[in-house]
Amino acid sequence: MDTLAISGLRIEASGMPLVRGVDAVAGPGRPLTLLGETGSGKSLVLGAATGTLPPRLRVTGRVLLDGTDILAAPPRARRGLWGRRLAMLPQEPWLSLDPTMRALGQVAEVYRLIRGLPATKSEEEARGRLAELGLEGAAGLYPFQMSGGMAQRLALAILRASEAPVLFADEPTKGLDADRRDEAGARLRLEADRGRTVVCVTHDVAIARALRGTVAVMLDGEVVEQGPAEAVLDYPAHEYTRRLLDAEPERWPSLPGRAAPRGEVVVSGDGLHRAFGGRPVLRGVDLSVRRGEVVAITGPSGCGKTTLGDLLLGLLAPDAGTVRRLPGVESWRFGKLYQDPPSAFVPHQTMRQALEDLSKRHGVAWNVVAPLLQRLRLSTTLLDRVPAALSGGELQRFALVRVLMLDPVFLLADEPTSRLDPLTQQEVLLLLSELAGERGMGVLIVTHDLELASKLADRTIHLEAGRFASSDVSVSRGRHPTLAEPFGTLTRGQ
Amino acid sequence: MSGSTLSPGKRTGLVLLAALLGFAVLGPWVVDADPARQVLAHSLAAPGAEYLLGTDHLGRSMLARMAHATRLSLLLAAVTVLSAAVPGTLLGVMAAWRGGWAESGLVLLADAVLALPSLLLVLLLVAFAPGDFLPLYLGLALVGWVEYFRVSRALTRGILAKPHVEAARLLGFGRGYVLRRLILPELLPALSTLATFGLGGAVLAISTLSFVGLGIRPPVAELGSMTTELLPHAYEAPLTVLMPAALVLMAVLGCHLLVGRGAR
Amino acid sequence: MDRHNWRSLLRPILVRLLQALLVALIVGALGFALMAALPGDQAFRLAAARYGPDMGDATAAALVREELGLDRPRAVQFLDWIGQLLRLDLGHSLVTGEPVLEELRGQLGHTLSLAAVALPLSAILGLPLGILSGLHPSGLADRVTLGLSVLLRAVPAYALGLLLVAVFSIRLGWLPPAGFEGWREFILPGLTLALGLAALSARVTRDSVAAVSTAPYMAFARWKGLPERAAVLRHGLRNAAIPVVALLGFQLIGLIEGLIIVESLFSWPGIGHALVHAIFARDVPVVQGAALLMGLLFVLVNALVDLACATIDPRRARAGA
Repeated sequence: MDTLAISGLRIEASGMPLVRGVDAVAGPGRPLTLLGETGSGKSLVLGAATGTLPPRLRVTGRVLLDGTDILAAPPRARRGLWGRRLAMLPQEPWLSLDPTMRALGQVAEVYRLIRGLPATKSEEEARGRLAELGLEGAAGLYPFQMSGGMAQRLALAILRASEAPVLFADEPTKGLDADRRDEAGARLRLEADRGRTVVCVTHDVAIARALRGTVAVMLDGEVVEQGPAEAVLDYPAHEYTRRLLDAEPERWPSLPGRAAPRGEVVVSGDGLHRAFGGRPVLRGVDLSVRRGEVVAITGPSGCGKTTLGDLLLGLLAPDAGTVRRLPGVESWRFGKLYQDPPSAFVPHQTMRQALEDLSKRHGVAWNVVAPLLQRLRLSTTLLDRVPAALSGGELQRFALVRVLMLDPVFLLADEPTSRLDPLTQQEVLLLLSELAGERGMGVLIVTHDLELASKLADRTIHLEAGRFASSDVSVSRGRHPTLAEPFGTLTRGQ
Repeated sequence: MSGSTLSPGKRTGLVLLAALLGFAVLGPWVVDADPARQVLAHSLAAPGAEYLLGTDHLGRSMLARMAHATRLSLLLAAVTVLSAAVPGTLLGVMAAWRGGWAESGLVLLADAVLALPSLLLVLLLVAFAPGDFLPLYLGLALVGWVEYFRVSRALTRGILAKPHVEAARLLGFGRGYVLRRLILPELLPALSTLATFGLGGAVLAISTLSFVGLGIRPPVAELGSMTTELLPHAYEAPLTVLMPAALVLMAVLGCHLLVGRGAR
Repeated sequence: MDRHNWRSLLRPILVRLLQALLVALIVGALGFALMAALPGDQAFRLAAARYGPDMGDATAAALVREELGLDRPRAVQFLDWIGQLLRLDLGHSLVTGEPVLEELRGQLGHTLSLAAVALPLSAILGLPLGILSGLHPSGLADRVTLGLSVLLRAVPAYALGLLLVAVFSIRLGWLPPAGFEGWREFILPGLTLALGLAALSARVTRDSVAAVSTAPYMAFARWKGLPERAAVLRHGLRNAAIPVVALLGFQLIGLIEGLIIVESLFSWPGIGHALVHAIFARDVPVVQGAALLMGLLFVLVNALVDLACATIDPRRARAGA
């Protein structure tokens, strides 16, 4: 018996269909993942199932909860299901927890007020739930004293307290640090294993993989492919699913090895130490990058990888150790790409103004710009937009244009794609590595993603607690997976 | 800003201010009456053909006096706002940029000004020469710069911490460019909001201080002191008493509406 | 385990103590300068200021000159002056000859009793309207309240008071226009102050209630299955109260400014009235004493607001001010 069954679901806004003909089921231990990008309609389906859509949207079809159609039920009755039959793990739980109430109270009130237990018993039960999720030490903490992962576990503890059989999760990885995302997937799977019916809405393929069960891939308001996770994710039938999956770094084609480029060293650091407020962040790191070489630094949050990059660029001064940069090269030929592309541009300046100012400052002829735009597949019509009117991928490519105008010898890329969707991420990174070869610039890429590092870089350096932990020479690096047709034939220069 | 894109509230504010400005600039010129001429026989005359808005207790034309008073209020308020805004902003940007002892010193100074309610501090400064223009102006400016200082310092610190400033430095742009193209354009909206609000506040403060007798004193026509002068005649001509205050209301309301609802 | 410990409260208290010291320094410095700026012989004035007008003759002046060492450098005189101020030795009024502290004591009572009427009145007027507006943003109540508060905040306080007098005393004859005899005299000045304060607090309450009622944690409280009443009582109220309580500190500036104006308008025998009159009369010891008292009151209430905020908002207690 399916606990939750959606059939023929259609959602319209003033006659315009937003979601068409969605059928999907989920049951205890058989989770359902709705996978798709923003605007695919996946969140609307969730809204219809939970009864939280704005009234102006017309919903038809059926949503059966244990065989009863809840779509037809009046709003009051649907609200009555919340916390009793249906539970919702909210997006960004740290915003959904009461900021002025301690963790224990937020769990205990479910027992006290919804399940009617006496106060002491409620608290005892609440402590039990917290302990199950490894939060026994956090009972007296307020949400602002917790990490994102802890807040999510607290939200889960609250939902466990209610013991509602159906658990919805809306983008459970949104806003989490990259290295916490896998944890979130595993935690939801655990809920499913405990016999709950989990329904998850996400754009993150890794979550779908971790959750197993059924995957329904949504595009433009329709389910384009549906089936068991293993089948859909390993043998995708629909072209869109395939593209979505191919964008994951581990699926990028592995390519035969080739000797790393051996140009002159553009930047090097010896025995770098740096502390912030007495806390050492880097404790003796050596590193050098050559022309045409792509080097990756990886490591967990706080391992000092961003600090290392900033030291090499001269944005920070080392407490001990020396940084050497290629002599006779102007400082602006050492460039940087930022994690959050919109913040790296002046908010009120159009791209044209920004690039014109740059060409004036350095006496670079404006006719250098057009070929660069073309190389990075940016339309000249985008030049007259301000940052807010451009996508993250477009901005990151404009950031590359602006660096390349100055004929760089070195480029620091600090998590340059962690805010981009997977397809754009792939595109930007492949461009970056192609350009390293073409332009003979050394690239230092800071990333948390080991898979991505090993695919992209000639060498990967792992940092841990401010120290050099290990280093690999990547064998997969050499030729690169090609992008769209017209650019696929470009070869790497030496 | 073009008129078509303004919200109804902002448009009302603009109309109010424009009307007042017109009254202040053209009024004393068009109304060809001496604001100081007393015709005691006509004292407290009701509005009519001879005196459009009636007369005060000394038989002086209310219209002429109000036009002069409005001009005085707006001019003094504008000068006060400028005298507070320009140094306040420059010091704020400088403090954020330079940091160190210069910033600490300025912040301490600003905190000292804010340690007392501002009207109280203005009163203490005015106490040096009650009834004069100079202490009134100095008092309002000396208290007023702090707000511009704090806002521009906070905003500049925020901007300087942003990646786009670091990016500009890395791309080889100098301090002048960062100041001109990155900082000032982003400060401008906040500063103009603050200044518009401040203009209303200054008009209000000038008339309030004059009302209690510590601002501008008779016989100079001023909106607040006109009210004080007429106060003993409130029973005979309640509307006349309220007329100057209505102009203050219009000015402050105009400024607040022009700023819009988001502002405090 | 963390809890509200005294350490987290120590810092804000220290900051406020420093502020109090700063207030005394500023007021003292201005008072000293005012004294020096007065026309006439410094010794006569000081003699009068220190011992009362009876002593303001030549012998006393000579004594003072000797005793205070007016020939000493200005800096030393200034430190002496500040030292007296810090011992709350405020001297005598130049006009009445009474000790300033005595005069202010009576006036403070009147001012506080007026404030004690105005503050609750503003809460009664502002809070319900703010809550109602916040629960239905852009509804009728919201738009009416917005219009009223924009208008009220633009009206000069003296004009508002006059308008109330014109309506309730002159036209309707219900209430006395001024004076100080019974409870009826409290109504108009109290209402003038309260309306000005309520105009702001209604808007802040409205914004806070509107923000909290759409906050994700309220949605999650409902998702937990809490009935609406429990969700509002347990999660809504405390969070919505934080900005409103924090506003009290800001309101205080308005209250003190309002008191100065309203007391002058209604001839209310409080500190504000005394301050304005003393400035007229160039009665520097009273000016200084009144300003000092108001300044210290301002600091004290701000410290109380800090404490209240730290009690209901754990984030603020941790941030340490």
